[in-house]
Amino acid sequence: MSVAAGSVKPLPVRRPPRLKPSRLLIHAILISIGFFYMYPFLWVLAASFKTPGEFFRSGLSLIPEHFMWANYVYAWNAGHFSTYFFNTVVVTVSVTLLVILLTSMSGYVLSRTQFPGKKVFIGGMLVLMFMPAGYTIIPIFDLVQRMGLLNNLLGIILVQAAGGLIFNTLLFMGYFSTISREIEEAAVVDGASLPTTYWRVMLPMAKPMIATVGLFQFMINWNSFWIPLVLTIGNPSLRTLAVGVYAFVGENSTGWTYVAAGAVMSIIPIMIVFFFLQRYFIEAVAGAIKG
Amino acid sequence: MAVRTIAAQEKAGIKPLSGKPRAFLKQVKKNSWSYLFLLPMLVLVGLFVIYPLVASIQITFYDWNGIGKPTRYVGLQHFLTVARDPLFWSAFRHTFTYALVLVPIQLTLALILALVLNNPRLRGSLAYRAVYFSPVVTSAALVGIVMSMLLGNVGGDLSAKLVELGILKEPVDWLGSPQFALPVIIGVGIWHTLGYNLVYFLAALQSIPRELYEAATVDGANAVQQFIKITLPMLRGIGLVIVFLAILGSLQVFDLVLVMTGGGPFFASEVVSTYIYRFAFTPASIQAESNVGYASAAALFMGILVMGLTITQLLVVRYVRRHRSEAN
Repeated sequence: MSVAAGSVKPLPVRRPPRLKPSRLLIHAILISIGFFYMYPFLWVLAASFKTPGEFFRSGLSLIPEHFMWANYVYAWNAGHFSTYFFNTVVVTVSVTLLVILLTSMSGYVLSRTQFPGKKVFIGGMLVLMFMPAGYTIIPIFDLVQRMGLLNNLLGIILVQAAGGLIFNTLLFMGYFSTISREIEEAAVVDGASLPTTYWRVMLPMAKPMIATVGLFQFMINWNSFWIPLVLTIGNPSLRTLAVGVYAFVGENSTGWTYVAAGAVMSIIPIMIVFFFLQRYFIEAVAGAIKG
Repeated sequence: MAVRTIAAQEKAGIKPLSGKPRAFLKQVKKNSWSYLFLLPMLVLVGLFVIYPLVASIQITFYDWNGIGKPTRYVGLQHFLTVARDPLFWSAFRHTFTYALVLVPIQLTLALILALVLNNPRLRGSLAYRAVYFSPVVTSAALVGIVMSMLLGNVGGDLSAKLVELGILKEPVDWLGSPQFALPVIIGVGIWHTLGYNLVYFLAALQSIPRELYEAATVDGANAVQQFIKITLPMLRGIGLVIVFLAILGSLQVFDLVLVMTGGGPFFASEVVSTYIYRFAFTPASIQAESNVGYASAAALFMGILVMGLTITQLLVVRYVRRHRSEAN
């Protein structure tokens, strides 16, 4: 299947709108589905501004009577969401940068240099790709504990980064092998060492792949739940946002408006990123299936 | 120097030196930068991917409360207990119910939407696509929490509204009743990740050459005939991958179930991953039978099953691709 990569959107051939009844019906259906998709987000946004009384009274309404900013203040301070937010940012940014750096390095040497053991290495990666993830959390927890990393964010960062290394190395390997060798060879002739060539020549040429990997890693790590949940069982101050909201539900069985405020704080940042970069998000996802 | 040690280790994992050790060593030395560039990745993967895979097998032979060293060797006892535990098998059944109900419904809806949105004359299709995709960028845990607030008796009160509209006779406790908990979680699961499959199908549809449809139109084929004779056959390759990805993804369901019901009520929505979580990470003070070794045995059992499915997927996709290239 040879397909022009990245062209997900329909062809921009647009005729003037003809409002046939059938087309109106299609739009009506599509908009209803869209409402179904937006409603939970709008509802939780509204709920985050309601008073507890209104929350229980007004049920499904989307417009709060008063804007209770105090819910956010409470969640941010007393609910420790300032900490959770900070933790999530640190974990997400560190893992994303770490994955981009390590996988571009390994992808580069795997695509460009010939060395003893390369085939074994690549074969090993392909085997690991097909090992089920998620069922090995128990020894991971044990190892992190024994390394003494349960009481700081580094444990979460390393475990999450490790999970993204193999797949993204293969992506970078594929990408680098499509880049022409000429520029690189010119650098080598000029006496550049391998690290210099990688950093000055190859990495700048890999910007599209860096963007794809970065976007995916940002999304995955901002939303990750299972690993931070398990690794912060004994240490609430290391919780990330998703884990924090979940724990908040258990600990404040009556404070639903605060839970809503916490949920909004966790959803808004990734939604803003999505809003501005949605084309790239969607093209990255579409590209993954074609590869 | 560090580089040489790595090179030496690397050498150990390599085939016999084929009679030219000096040339081989020279090769290794020449490429020391390559090994150094791979080292950080290799260390992290070794620690947090390969070691846990090996260790998870070892733990299954022990009784262990998760603190210190595993204590009592029990051999294959845990596997026997897992195989005899009706709660494991009900969790197993729920996991497969989740996957086998969710996947066909979600993929059918996604394909229909993709066919509609793929029409180049449809205005606003990019906006629709973005809206349907938006839950995908949100974590399953948060989606689950918001949905359970919306569906639960805490505020949202959807069932009261449905009674008011005459759709329901009496209010339903969606997540509190054994009958509805799993179907509701499945519904939320369909909603949450539909966007992925929509985008996959759109990409697949756009990979079908337009000339095929043009030729068919010239031959007088109508839309339905074109769908059956062109679209479906052309989707088969990517479609298979989409199906397997969806099945594998849903078999690992955890976040949604944990935050929406915790596997309850009375284990009615328990899936394998929440079962494992319960045995591995509930403090013994709350649940006496917590046992990391036992949980690992259940995890390994499920892991092997999922791996089997993954390999099957690989073989089937390969077979279909070869089959098609022969047919052409």
